Amino acid sequence: MKTAHWQLPGDAEQLPAAIAFLQGFWEEAELPMALGFTFELALEEVFLNVALHGADSSRVPSVELAVTASDTEVVLVVADDARPFDPLTLATPDIGAALEDRTIGGLGVHLVRQMMDTVSYTYEAGHNRLRMTKHLSQS
Amino acid sequence: MDMNTENVDGITVALPAGRLDFGAAGPFQQQLEQAVAAKPRGLIVDCSSLDYVSSAGLRVFLVAARAAKAAGIGFAVSSMKPAVKEVFDLTGFGNVITLCADRAAAVTALA
Repeated sequence: MKTAHWQLPGDAEQLPAAIAFLQGFWEEAELPMALGFTFELALEEVFLNVALHGADSSRVPSVELAVTASDTEVVLVVADDARPFDPLTLATPDIGAALEDRTIGGLGVHLVRQMMDTVSYTYEAGHNRLRMTKHLSQS
Repeated sequence: MDMNTENVDGITVALPAGRLDFGAAGPFQQQLEQAVAAKPRGLIVDCSSLDYVSSAGLRVFLVAARAAKAAGIGFAVSSMKPAVKEVFDLTGFGNVITLCADRAAAVTALA
């Protein structure tokens, strides 16, 4: 089992650094590249939700990333100390709407839910924690 | 993110390359808006060199498709790699934007 942790400011400008952290882990743990796309997308969507919507004007939230890989699954946990917010309560976007009526709100979380095997949210000790899991095929 | 554009028989072909993430979305949107403003016969986004797209990137396709439609310009997206195609499929964007397997099919779709 391999694991890595990193703490960084929940600022949109930190997104490339957050992605680089994940890519570094991917190389070190020799994980499948196709799965890397899924996790990079999930990290971007979740991190930006915190950075763009979780922050109040007085303070940049702190974000903690934890990624763990075993023989059977990869788990990414994104925790933050912004105001309590469960992204899984966001309404599913209407993906059948016409071009003019399309909105992008909620689409990122929709993608994360579709692409991950499990996504769960908890709020504990002042922190939002979103836990995302993808099973590894036993081939 | 790098993006080249080509003009083929009055159709502008935009070729975004690499990662279309939150940081790349703004410049990409500007380039597509400029392409629409030049009033080509059609606009194709050839994604053959695009490795990654997030919801911030998807938004740009939506904005460009609307701008092109409002300007009476045909708009199509072609040549997506499987991972990028999956993001389009999971969001149902194929229902509102013309997606083509390759550039030739996109040219045909805009004819």
